[in-house]
Amino acid sequence: MSDTATAQPFLTPERVEKLRDYVPFIAIALVILMFWAISGDRFMSVRNWTFIAQQTPVLLLLAFAQLMIVTTGSIDISIGSSLAFSAFLGALGMLWFGDVGLILGILAGGFVGMVNGCIISLLKIPSFVTTLAMLIIVRALVIIMSDGTSIYITADSGASGGNISSVAAPWLLSMGKFPAIFIIAAIVAFGMWVFYEKTVFGQQLRAVGGNEKVLRLVGINVTTFKIKVFAAAGLMVGLAACVNLARAGAATPQAGMMMELDAIAAVALGGTPLTGGYGSVVKTIIGALTLTIVRNGLTIAGVPPSWSQVALGLLLIAAIAISLNRSKIEVVK
Amino acid sequence: MNGSGAEPLLTVEHVTKSFGGVQAMRDGSFDLKRGEVVAIVGGNGAGKSTLAKIVSGAHVPDSGRICIKGVEVSRADHSVSHMQACGIEVVYQDLALVPNMTAPYNLFLGRIPRKWGLFVDEKKMRKKTREVLEQLNVTTVQDLSQPISSMSGGQQQSIAIGRAIAWGSDIVILDEPTAALGPNETAEVERLVEDVRDQHGTSFILISHNLDQVRRLADRIIVTHHGVTSREFKRDEITSDRLVKAITLGE
Ligand SMILES: Nc1ncnc2c1ncn2[C@@H]1O[C@H](COP(=O)(O)OP(=O)(O)O)[C@@H](O)[C@H]1O
Ligand SMILES: [Mg+2]
Repeated sequence: MSDTATAQPFLTPERVEKLRDYVPFIAIALVILMFWAISGDRFMSVRNWTFIAQQTPVLLLLAFAQLMIVTTGSIDISIGSSLAFSAFLGALGMLWFGDVGLILGILAGGFVGMVNGCIISLLKIPSFVTTLAMLIIVRALVIIMSDGTSIYITADSGASGGNISSVAAPWLLSMGKFPAIFIIAAIVAFGMWVFYEKTVFGQQLRAVGGNEKVLRLVGINVTTFKIKVFAAAGLMVGLAACVNLARAGAATPQAGMMMELDAIAAVALGGTPLTGGYGSVVKTIIGALTLTIVRNGLTIAGVPPSWSQVALGLLLIAAIAISLNRSKIEVVK
Repeated sequence: MNGSGAEPLLTVEHVTKSFGGVQAMRDGSFDLKRGEVVAIVGGNGAGKSTLAKIVSGAHVPDSGRICIKGVEVSRADHSVSHMQACGIEVVYQDLALVPNMTAPYNLFLGRIPRKWGLFVDEKKMRKKTREVLEQLNVTTVQDLSQPISSMSGGQQQSIAIGRAIAWGSDIVILDEPTAALGPNETAEVERLVEDVRDQHGTSFILISHNLDQVRRLADRIIVTHHGVTSREFKRDEITSDRLVKAITLGE
């Protein structure tokens, strides 16, 4: 008892608490160093980082959508299906109305989000169940609408001729390549940061996740707010769908499958608790990057895809186990 | 302080409220004058919080009348924002604050100041928060960027009360403000209520289980029993015995 002052351990509880804040940054640094050590220049090359910069944006935008929703304490597992739906409508919009028709893709995402929000808020069905149902329904709609075929974006206007399932839009394809896609992602990320950290709407996301009942008692209309949140997240999914359309060069019925899980994983790797009330745009960016880098690094290192999924799952559990202060958690559901 | 006296600031006449089959409030009547502290006491489930929520605008009564400064509040107008505009604020039992948000955010809950329509005016919020804390003589809250869940219960309750008085309200409802606090923190909150009443002439509706506290602070005491405001005592005619009898038996 007497000489505790001299025997201060390095990791005091306060320091551990501070350190938890940096887990996503430490994790990504370790991951990069590890793959650099394993694969050397094949990983740490301009070519590979250009590839990573192209690969991350779609996931990043989906993670942003998920971040908005998770911060309020809800979840959206329909965003993969919504991405396919939005990309399809974006491509159809371009067939019908020319280049501006792409906006239809963004609006379609917003529409799916709004429907989710209305069902959750007005019918009071939990977000997990609602969006699970929408995951199934929206995917089925895409397959019905597309009749199982894809719409292709082509570079050369001559080729489209009488073929109804292709659109000539070389500008869109160039948007899906390195500097453009990266710049788009950076602009959206900055906008998202301003929106999430600085606006009244962004603060209210956290407040709803913290204690919805208090907000209702002070006269805030939480019901319409939640509809707006799902709609806003949906617009972000729509934007992700357009970026994906540019990157993939086609709207396919299978697009975005399992991407909802990647988006949740990226948010969680960014240290955001899925119980709501807290979150960070910067750390979500780190989370999305980490996910992409791990997948990329494992592929380069020659790990078969199935095993790399196993590794990703383990990483996710490890990251959350370390970044949450579990001594404060009383109930785990 | 309370010289005008004659006309009540607030009158509540025969309000009722049911939730499905539960008659939470069967007949609630009382009035409140400027600068007065009126306590509402009663057993668990007697309808005290329901009465508080009716007056704050959170619940619309099924029947009855509420007048503020002589003007009746119509059923269509009965809402939290209307009651706030009439100068009524409330510190709710258990759920007054959002735990993961900062002190300034909680102080401005429901009225966050905006810059350019969209953005949070953080400077204004911090400045006002410092002013309010100073006004309340609360010196222990220094770091305004921490979530309030990292503060002590007394500090949190100070913020909740600060939130209620910061907007120049005439009537503040406190629903069991010290139920979760220790003795020192309770004394702190009691001092706060007296200071605010003396300095601003604010009226308080104090809901409390602590009969000693009620006798220290209240000018009048209203007893609720099974959803009826059954008895009223003046400060000097109360003994603990009579109060306990009234609470348990409704007589
Ligand atoms: N929102 C509500 N829905 C259903 N029943 C309620 C609600 N609010 C209060 N009650 C019921 O009304 C009665 C009075 O509750 P309340 O006003 O909270 O009592 P008190 O604050 O005096 O302990 C209780 O039986 C309670 O269960
Ligand atoms: Mg109560």
